[in-house]
Amino acid sequence: MLIFKKDWIEIRRNWQILLPIFAIPFMISVLLPTFIFSIPGILSMPVSSLNGIETLMRNLPKNIQAEVKEMNIQQALIYIMLQYFLAPFFLVVPIMVSDVIASDSFAGEKERKTIETLLATPISDSELFLGKVLVAFVPSVIATIVSFLLYSFVANLYSVKLLNGKLILPNLTWLLLVFCLSPTIALTSIGLTVIVSAKVKGFREAQQISAGIIMPILLMLIFSQVMGIVILGPQVVLLLTVSLSIVNFLLLSIGISSFGREEILSKLV
Amino acid sequence: MQAIETIELTKKFGNLVAVDKLSFEVEKGEIFGILGPNGAGKTTTIRLLACLLSPSSGSANVGGFDIVKDSMKVREIVGIQTENPSLYERLTAYENLDFFAEAYGILDSQERRKRIRDLLDFFGLWVFKDKKVGAFSRGMKQKLSIARAIVHDPDIIFLDEPTSGLDPESAREIKDLMKSFSRKGKTIVFSTHVLGDAEKLCNRVMIISKGKRVALGALEELLTNTSKPILRITLKKLDQRVIDAIKCFKQVKEVTVADSSSVVSIVLDDVETITPEIIKSVVLNGGLILSVNVVNQSLEDVYLKIVRGGKVEN
Repeated sequence: MLIFKKDWIEIRRNWQILLPIFAIPFMISVLLPTFIFSIPGILSMPVSSLNGIETLMRNLPKNIQAEVKEMNIQQALIYIMLQYFLAPFFLVVPIMVSDVIASDSFAGEKERKTIETLLATPISDSELFLGKVLVAFVPSVIATIVSFLLYSFVANLYSVKLLNGKLILPNLTWLLLVFCLSPTIALTSIGLTVIVSAKVKGFREAQQISAGIIMPILLMLIFSQVMGIVILGPQVVLLLTVSLSIVNFLLLSIGISSFGREEILSKLV
Repeated sequence: MQAIETIELTKKFGNLVAVDKLSFEVEKGEIFGILGPNGAGKTTTIRLLACLLSPSSGSANVGGFDIVKDSMKVREIVGIQTENPSLYERLTAYENLDFFAEAYGILDSQERRKRIRDLLDFFGLWVFKDKKVGAFSRGMKQKLSIARAIVHDPDIIFLDEPTSGLDPESAREIKDLMKSFSRKGKTIVFSTHVLGDAEKLCNRVMIISKGKRVALGALEELLTNTSKPILRITLKKLDQRVIDAIKCFKQVKEVTVADSSSVVSIVLDDVETITPEIIKSVVLNGGLILSVNVVNQSLEDVYLKIVRGGKVEN
């Protein structure tokens, strides 16, 4: 906990880290849904102009079609967007928050040349590693939960207004997304950052490379969802959580081995 | 009693041999200096002894513990001040020391507070205890990094260029601190470029070049063994005939003439026996002597001679 405590104080005083931690959840949870529902004028569109979307609706899985059966096309579109289409975007929060903190915590110590005295202490490699993983993991989980609360508020504001007083969140899919998939994907991001940090000298480099690896995977998920290939229902969320847990086990195993004192300091010499 | 013992300690980085079969011992309570030019292997030697790097071959015992098998024990009993201050700039001076004190196992917060107060008081930093280290001057950071190295009261202290970047007053404080630690039985190993520091502080020094040991012993001893007296003759006018006559003596090791002057410096094996003969020869060859002095080689001269000579002493 000592490493966690020290890094936590440092993070709280670093606006370069605090800014994305606050900005990303706000953008995803508040600005994105507000933007989607205001710019194209979806809320003010006459129902007749949305008839072309019926084809898209027909491609959706049967269970979702059943959920929107009683709604008109405008209500169905809003429901699907709030409930399903924005869900993968939400995963950007744990990924980005953990990536920003982990890259600063691992590669940042190297860049600021503080790692040498830290590694000279009798703190074991596993204590060091765990402390640094926790300091990236805990804020990302907190940011995800706060984002979810904000998003639920915004989504329910729209749903109450447009779906005849219906509160659409929380539901099982989103609870699984927030409490199972998000922490798992945060660990994937941390695992990647740790491995990349061992190879690079600067935290920005570490941040860009690890985000550059994970973001295309997330984009694939977003497009698959939009195209109706994969819909984030409870089963898919659980399947992704289990799959990523296996990936995390491998990533963190490699991360621990690349976090050896000798390995890190050899790069500084 | 030995605090440190190394046997053919070697560290390689790929094809580069940074430390090459280094064997030496440091006595308990000794101030031991490691001297050498940039890239000689001083920092790598300190990193090996502080268990920041593991050796490629050879072995070392620090405080009775093997640096490979008992690296955690070694870390507990040593303190290290690295080349860079390596401080957390977003933490205050107090928070930096508090973190390291706890990391080194001082779990009682009252004990930590007392220890930190004593150290910050000693270095004149207590008034700045709540200031973030990022706002500190280079000298203040250097003092704080030394305070951090000794916050857990270690038996063996490694200091890498401890007076670098300090004003003369602060440098003197550090040197006084090192002496007081030595009096308390603490062992200090420090690397430096400042030969004067080594001369004033060290019981013994080791000079290394390209990772190899080129000299080891008390500085006075090294000076006596390596230094040769210089006969310095100031002439009214420089004449090549005079120089040639001086060079004819087999006891003369080296003759140098300072640029744009008529001062001839002659390195001799035995100054007492041969000086009258050289003076006589200078006069006979038409040299008009203004003054004659016998001087000893400076510490810098001896150091450069040893380092440039590069002869490895075993």
